[in-house]
Amino acid sequence: MTQSARTYWRTLEELAETPEFVAAVERQAPRFRDIVHAFDRRRFLQLMAASVALGGLSGCGPEADQRQLLPYVEQPENIVPGRNRYYAGATLQDGYATGVLVAHQMARPIKVEGNPDHPASLGAASATMQASILELYDPRRAQTLFGDGRIATWQGFVGVLHGRRERLMASNGEGLRILTGAVTSPSLAAQLAKLQQQFPGMRWHQWEPLHRDNEAASALRSFGQSADRIFDLSKADRIFAIESDLISATPGWLAYAQQFAAARRPAETGGTMSRVYAIESTPTLMGAKADHRLAMRPDEIISALRHLAGLLGAGPQQWAQEETAQAAWLKAAADDLAAHKGRALLHAGRAQPVEAHLLTDAINIALGAVGQTVKLIAPVEAMSGSKLRSISELAEDMAAGKVDTLLILGTNPVYSAPVDLDFVERLRLVPFSACLALYEDETSAACKWRIPATHDYEAWSDARAFDGTITIQQPQARPLYGGHAAQEILSVLLGDPTPDPYTLLRNFWQEYAPQEKREDFEDFWHKALQVGIVADSASDIVQVQSRPDAIAELPSGAAPSNGTLQALFRPDDGNWDGRYAHNPWLLEMPRPFTRLTWDNAALIAPNTAERLGLKTEDVVEITVEKTKLKAPIFLLPGQAPDCITLPTGWGRSGGGLGTGSGFNAYAARNSGSPWIAQIAAIRKTGETYRLATTQGQDRVLGRDLIREGDLDQFNSHPDKPLTQKKADSLYEPFQYPGRAWAMQIDLNSCIGCQACTIACQAENNVPIVGKDQVLAGRVMHWLRVDRYYSGPADEPDIAFEPMPCMHCEQAPCEVVCPVHATVHDHEGLNLMVYNRCVGTRFCSNNCPYKVRRFNFYAFAAQNERRPESWNPEVTVRGRGVMEKCTYCIQRIRTTQIDAAKEDRDIFDGEVMTACQQSCPTQAIIFGDRNNRDSAVAKRKAWPIDYDLLDDLNTKPRTTYSALVRNPNPAITTNTRPGNKASNHGDDTDE
Amino acid sequence: MAMTLTNDARVIAPEVTLTTLSEDVSSRVLMKRAPLWWWCGFGISLALLMVLIIQMAVLFIVGIGVWGVEIPVAWGFAIAEYVWWIALASGGTIVSALFFLTRSPWRSATNRIAESMLLSAAPCAGLMPIMHLGRPGFFYWLFPYSSVMGVWPQMRSPLLWDFVCLLCYILMSIMYYYAGILPDLATVRDLATTRSKKIFYGILALGWRGSVAEWRNQRIVYAIMSAIMAPMVVSVHSVVGLDYAGGLTPGWHDTQFPPYFFFGAIVSGTAVIIMLTILVRWGYSLQNVLTEYHFNAMAKVMLVGSLMLAYAYVWEAFGPLYGSDVAARTEFFHRAFGFTAPVFWSEKILTVVVPQLLWLPAVRRNQLLLVLISAGVVVGMWQERFVFTTSSLEHNYIPSYWGHFFPTLWDWAALAGTIGLFLTMFFLFLRFAPIISLAEVREVIEERRAG
Repeated sequence: MTQSARTYWRTLEELAETPEFVAAVERQAPRFRDIVHAFDRRRFLQLMAASVALGGLSGCGPEADQRQLLPYVEQPENIVPGRNRYYAGATLQDGYATGVLVAHQMARPIKVEGNPDHPASLGAASATMQASILELYDPRRAQTLFGDGRIATWQGFVGVLHGRRERLMASNGEGLRILTGAVTSPSLAAQLAKLQQQFPGMRWHQWEPLHRDNEAASALRSFGQSADRIFDLSKADRIFAIESDLISATPGWLAYAQQFAAARRPAETGGTMSRVYAIESTPTLMGAKADHRLAMRPDEIISALRHLAGLLGAGPQQWAQEETAQAAWLKAAADDLAAHKGRALLHAGRAQPVEAHLLTDAINIALGAVGQTVKLIAPVEAMSGSKLRSISELAEDMAAGKVDTLLILGTNPVYSAPVDLDFVERLRLVPFSACLALYEDETSAACKWRIPATHDYEAWSDARAFDGTITIQQPQARPLYGGHAAQEILSVLLGDPTPDPYTLLRNFWQEYAPQEKREDFEDFWHKALQVGIVADSASDIVQVQSRPDAIAELPSGAAPSNGTLQALFRPDDGNWDGRYAHNPWLLEMPRPFTRLTWDNAALIAPNTAERLGLKTEDVVEITVEKTKLKAPIFLLPGQAPDCITLPTGWGRSGGGLGTGSGFNAYAARNSGSPWIAQIAAIRKTGETYRLATTQGQDRVLGRDLIREGDLDQFNSHPDKPLTQKKADSLYEPFQYPGRAWAMQIDLNSCIGCQACTIACQAENNVPIVGKDQVLAGRVMHWLRVDRYYSGPADEPDIAFEPMPCMHCEQAPCEVVCPVHATVHDHEGLNLMVYNRCVGTRFCSNNCPYKVRRFNFYAFAAQNERRPESWNPEVTVRGRGVMEKCTYCIQRIRTTQIDAAKEDRDIFDGEVMTACQQSCPTQAIIFGDRNNRDSAVAKRKAWPIDYDLLDDLNTKPRTTYSALVRNPNPAITTNTRPGNKASNHGDDTDE
Repeated sequence: MAMTLTNDARVIAPEVTLTTLSEDVSSRVLMKRAPLWWWCGFGISLALLMVLIIQMAVLFIVGIGVWGVEIPVAWGFAIAEYVWWIALASGGTIVSALFFLTRSPWRSATNRIAESMLLSAAPCAGLMPIMHLGRPGFFYWLFPYSSVMGVWPQMRSPLLWDFVCLLCYILMSIMYYYAGILPDLATVRDLATTRSKKIFYGILALGWRGSVAEWRNQRIVYAIMSAIMAPMVVSVHSVVGLDYAGGLTPGWHDTQFPPYFFFGAIVSGTAVIIMLTILVRWGYSLQNVLTEYHFNAMAKVMLVGSLMLAYAYVWEAFGPLYGSDVAARTEFFHRAFGFTAPVFWSEKILTVVVPQLLWLPAVRRNQLLLVLISAGVVVGMWQERFVFTTSSLEHNYIPSYWGHFFPTLWDWAALAGTIGLFLTMFFLFLRFAPIISLAEVREVIEERRAG
């Protein structure tokens, strides 16, 4: 994909205005001629589907069936088969937007890339973003509108809602409640505000199960006003992470991860890198990357933070004298932080209690971080307030009979609301309830009306990013399954029975756009749609009055848990709060630490498990307050003692693919203890449950797979690298005089987020196989991210290692194939000729890196996927053939053809593999090794670059650069034992 | 042809004469109704053959996924059993061709059994790698034929050498068998009483009249073919060993595989021949032709084979332990003391320890013990092939991608089914072809008379 090849459309009519197009429509579809000229958006979308968008999309809607479909007589300009066109858009998570560019082939969306212009993406795309394309096409999405259990029509619903509106008008809106997720959309917020005006008695509630209430509450207390924190990691030389989701889930994490990794490539930064301390109860990606990490129980975290606050003068002096675990470690960290005032940063994750956030803020204030590494902006959400309180109030009012009309828009409280609210029972008391949902879910099943929702890629809407930047979302396709948007429903309530989302949004923006833009609105609108952001819409930094005394009122340190078990409710790395639970790619995505697919599990530290007599796959019954929960156990090194992490987002019901996978942690989650709950009892049931992990062994077992060293070593011996190369072959090597494609993976940059795995799956039509086949060892991911532990099981060092095909110059797979099905090309690509493969599987046996995948069944054909959702540039493999990473050869060829047509060389960076493009940290670099100025050649010249299993002399084209840690010399205690160069090498099997 | 046969009277019972021999053996072929034991055995064999057919239908329709193979263990039962079957077949050739060249007298009465066994086992071996392919319909792409695409097989792959060797071996074996049986077919033709049998064996006998010139040519051809077959079987089984030795996998990448495999072939092949000889002797009441002498001799061969195998086992351990490759050492530890340890150690006991009983002459002459020891050897050899095929792949270079192979029902069905194919074919040989080489035993009788 090339920058220059991107053609954005700004609006549909821009496409429609070209004379050729109009002429073509007149010729080919005369009955729609008037519609084209009328520029009616909605009609145009329909027209586009019926007449322009070719077979794929037009087959979807009910109306299309009744119309005549005509093929092109003349090819419209700019829709070239085999060429991607990119349209800007956004995906939303918890209301926050991340900009995307959706690749279209022949008017069908097929792949999601990050939008380089969008501050929350900077070109990267997370696994969930990549997987959103599959959600768009998912045939299991809700497709039918139901009213009172019967199939109904949108018009029917509008009629009923309109009728209720009349009654509500009379009662001033008393009893009208609207429940949404977090809302950042200015247009939706404006509608809600207008509704509030029309119906003063109405109340708007919000619910996000993985809310950030504690962050919001502490901001209010620490800074005297509601504010969102944004971070500048490029300035953070010292980071102290308290179970931080800064590089894994916090809004804007892709951008933070990029800054984070950029500061940790000593070969690029001239021998400097940031230093990260992490304390956490359950492993996070930040913890895995930390130079010093401690697994701590939640109460220990609070006392550690108090200790730290005392040492750094952020809290009372006597706090530094309080008894705490790891005092020496904390002292060393505090000294280090104090020495980097203004360039240090503390960050606490969303699951930390409000005390932890207050202490974090206080220390940040004391370290002068506020205004430097932490900045405050006005809240991005339209209504920032506690989500937990909001839903609790709604539940109380429902119980009290105060709710008469409830619209639930895009959130799933029956599944995810605190169990003590008894939401489903109370929902039944509401006379009129309607639920707008993407899938038939738990909430829609309990509502009187259920309306299929539009996907992020089907609706006209807008949303804001973590820093306030607004994206105007344009549809990438017309609603495939007849969905509707929240804006439409609210419009009906506002009195417009035939709302048109496009007009609504455009009219709103004509008002809302900045004054100076309104004069040339068309230009503003086009630009916003084309680029994917509204220029200069980021929120301003607010100057706040820091209140370091906010922690003065804190109660004395948390009571130690004394060996009682605690349940930690934590987001799942794939399913998140449950919204992605039906996404096949995410269900089968190995979670970064557990490598689990298709299930969640109760995560427990090995020592605690031993004490309780538990082992992986034992099913336990966990009692939290009054609820009992059955869950399989999974031993997780690095987990704090006495803590059992229950990942959320599983155990869904309804119609999606994820139904029945895993257990629902929300079933044990109460409003009083949303993140940490005491476990009253844990009982081994005697049953076992098979868990499908994709990783065989957790340690390198003496192999030289992860090379590791510390920064001092890197700086003191630049000439004596951390790694050494083995002798070359006796034979004359094959010459590659032209291009030599190669890849370099920086282990220091890789944070283990799995974006590359899913990006590869999306780009290369990699099928899913299902839990049974994962258990049978047949997972198909071309690129996996191995996770290795070293050191003791309770305080392990954690390393991630992405494993694509190595494209060995002396490839062991090639010599053993009897039929020439895997061969080398002149640019060094190890090719797989699917048509020639007979399936001996010798190549896989002979691959020392185990990166080859075999179609034991016709996996692709068995996948429940709409045919148009596959990437047409990549062969869909049949049964009985081998496949593997191709370095995205289709992208290489496209670029080569482009360059040949323009009679020029390929620029460095012009060919990006899918994994490289999605990677938020630039851990993966691809290019021409023979070009000395290329990024990949420069990285391969790093002294710490090494070949995996180099003693086999396979001469891989994919090389790695060693993991460099930056330990604090003052920390010599055994908290991180053996923090030496060959950490991973020390682990032997016997 | 000057045969320096021993005059040892124990080779054949004194009451056997040229006439009784011909009539005895031919009558088994020409009898109207096969005995009950034959029908029972054949019925069981056919039932097992049905298992194979059903298994193949499922495999080809549903896909290779019905087996337990996976990544990293992409080779499972099929390849282990391929090696196992080819070893049994090779054992037949060793007895038949190698001991022909050494002029061993005990070989004359058993060589037809050995060759029938070899011809029954070879298709089982040949079937395994084809069933094991992801796209079995295209197995012929391994054959170097001149296609319009101009694509040839990849000559560096051991699988190709393997394919070529196996093909040559099966073709040679058929010709070798036929060259040997030709005079016997003529005898059966001459003794046949019904017209249809006269025509059937008449065609098969290719107009053999027993002239001196014919005998001379037949003996020369047979001797030359023996001289080819004996080294060929060594090379065929060595090439099978190269499938492993040529693999870049800890535990496989070892030069000892070719001889190691050959040693295994001697032991397991002899073991099967012993069992089948006892079956023939008992079933066709040929106690006076197949004497204790034969069992004594074959048991000695098996004993020697197991000692050679013991030597290979020492090297199996010595290589990884002496070498510096961590992966190979780890793999060996897992093979010997890990998940597969029970299979590993019982295999050593069955193939090397138990056969040491054969040092005792009494054991060598006790047919029941011989059957038990031989069966143990055959099972043990299967275990050996299974363990080194899967264990190496399970414990590869990348610990994150270690896995375990678990056979499915269909894996076992393939094993049972090929046993069915083997037995079916052997029972057909028993019924329709002289199971004792008349021509050669006649020579023994002649030698005895002359001596």
